[in-house]
Amino acid sequence: MKISFHLNGQPTDWEVAPGRTLLQALRGSGAHSVKMGCETGDCGSCTVLLDGQPVNSCVVAAARVAGHRVTTMEGLLDDDLMIRLQTELVEQGAVQCGYCIPGMLISLYALMKKGPPIGEQEIRHALTGNLCRCTGYVKPVAAARAVATVLEVSP
Amino acid sequence: MWNLQEYRFATNPAEAVALMRKGPGKGAYIAGGTDLLLEHPDCDFVVDVNNAGIGDIARTPGGDLFLGAAATLQGIVDDPLVGGFAGGAVGLAAARCGNRPVRTTATVGGNLCNALPSADMAPVLMALDATCYIADEDCRESLPLTDFFVGPRRTVLEDRLLVGVALPGECAGWRCLAHKLTRTAEDISLVQVCVALDLADGRIGEVRIALGAVSAVPMRATLAESMLTGQEVAAVTPDLVRDVAGIAAGECGPLDDHRASAEYRREMTAVLTRRLVTGILGDDRGNGEGDAA
Repeated sequence: MKISFHLNGQPTDWEVAPGRTLLQALRGSGAHSVKMGCETGDCGSCTVLLDGQPVNSCVVAAARVAGHRVTTMEGLLDDDLMIRLQTELVEQGAVQCGYCIPGMLISLYALMKKGPPIGEQEIRHALTGNLCRCTGYVKPVAAARAVATVLEVSP
Repeated sequence: MWNLQEYRFATNPAEAVALMRKGPGKGAYIAGGTDLLLEHPDCDFVVDVNNAGIGDIARTPGGDLFLGAAATLQGIVDDPLVGGFAGGAVGLAAARCGNRPVRTTATVGGNLCNALPSADMAPVLMALDATCYIADEDCRESLPLTDFFVGPRRTVLEDRLLVGVALPGECAGWRCLAHKLTRTAEDISLVQVCVALDLADGRIGEVRIALGAVSAVPMRATLAESMLTGQEVAAVTPDLVRDVAGIAAGECGPLDDHRASAEYRREMTAVLTRRLVTGILGDDRGNGEGDAA
């Protein structure tokens, strides 16, 4: 079936099988920042934005995004807020194997987009869908807090 | 991959039902899809109801709180109308479903229609007297949520569409507390209890005790409820609450499975019922009994 939607701001037409997930279709189209992990909606490594809200693309039907906006890391590489988040994760040592990081960044980006004030509880809630099996969550949360603090001073 | 032949979009409830009946083969409604895309049920086509105009959350002129079936769980968590109804109990229950990205697409209707005994939204909606609205091609039907479930993974719907649930305005001021017992925060619940009390002038009016994951379908413990109905709050002793909790535990019919034993589930039904009733009444007396185990 044919669907039309916006992928990373660009009008996009896809030919997709009706039973295909958004994750499968995104990776098939070259969006390799979207990682294939549990494929059961638990780990969050496939997190993308659907109309600005974080979703697990493994449990979203590709056909469903017709007429909607999908954003992956590929579409945010030049975004100031995303660069701040990436930089802070690196500086805090929050990245080890890196597999969960695109998903974590997408979740944090969606949270930060709401604007300050953003407290630690909100950050932890925003990350409930992202599993990290390397460093844990202390450093990612610290990095997000640092970005949240900066946003309060210079949005 | 899911071997699906066709993905259909409906723009209104009647069209959705018509698309479901058109065939050929078996169909299923899809909204968030967070269950269907895991389970890959044996069907030839799905009917997407995300654009069928059934995703709204509203207060009716009569004060009822209407939750469209395709309202997302995160939408319910964030909605101020939900927050202002029965102490925000419905939003708190929605916040305990899955994780943040799952709640973005998962819907309240999907949670109910999937009809798991442990459906996370069922106890709180049952405790607040929810009515289900069901669409056919040329008519609508409503029935209490207590009559909606007919067995594990089975509802009264057949090929019709759930368009939403309404909570009566009278319940807006009820005191409602719920507990979902799980091993980890995101896990499937072992026991769910939701207690709603209509308190006025030191008396208990209506009482609702709804239980999840402890019988074939989400249920009300009506015998236990009747023991509290009409009681003066001051006359409710710890012994009475203990008896109410014991009766509630006796009314359910939990199963043994790999998550928990039936015995444990039944015992925890009593413990949680006691804590929740005490929590609401303790708050009302202002003596902080809410934490008492």
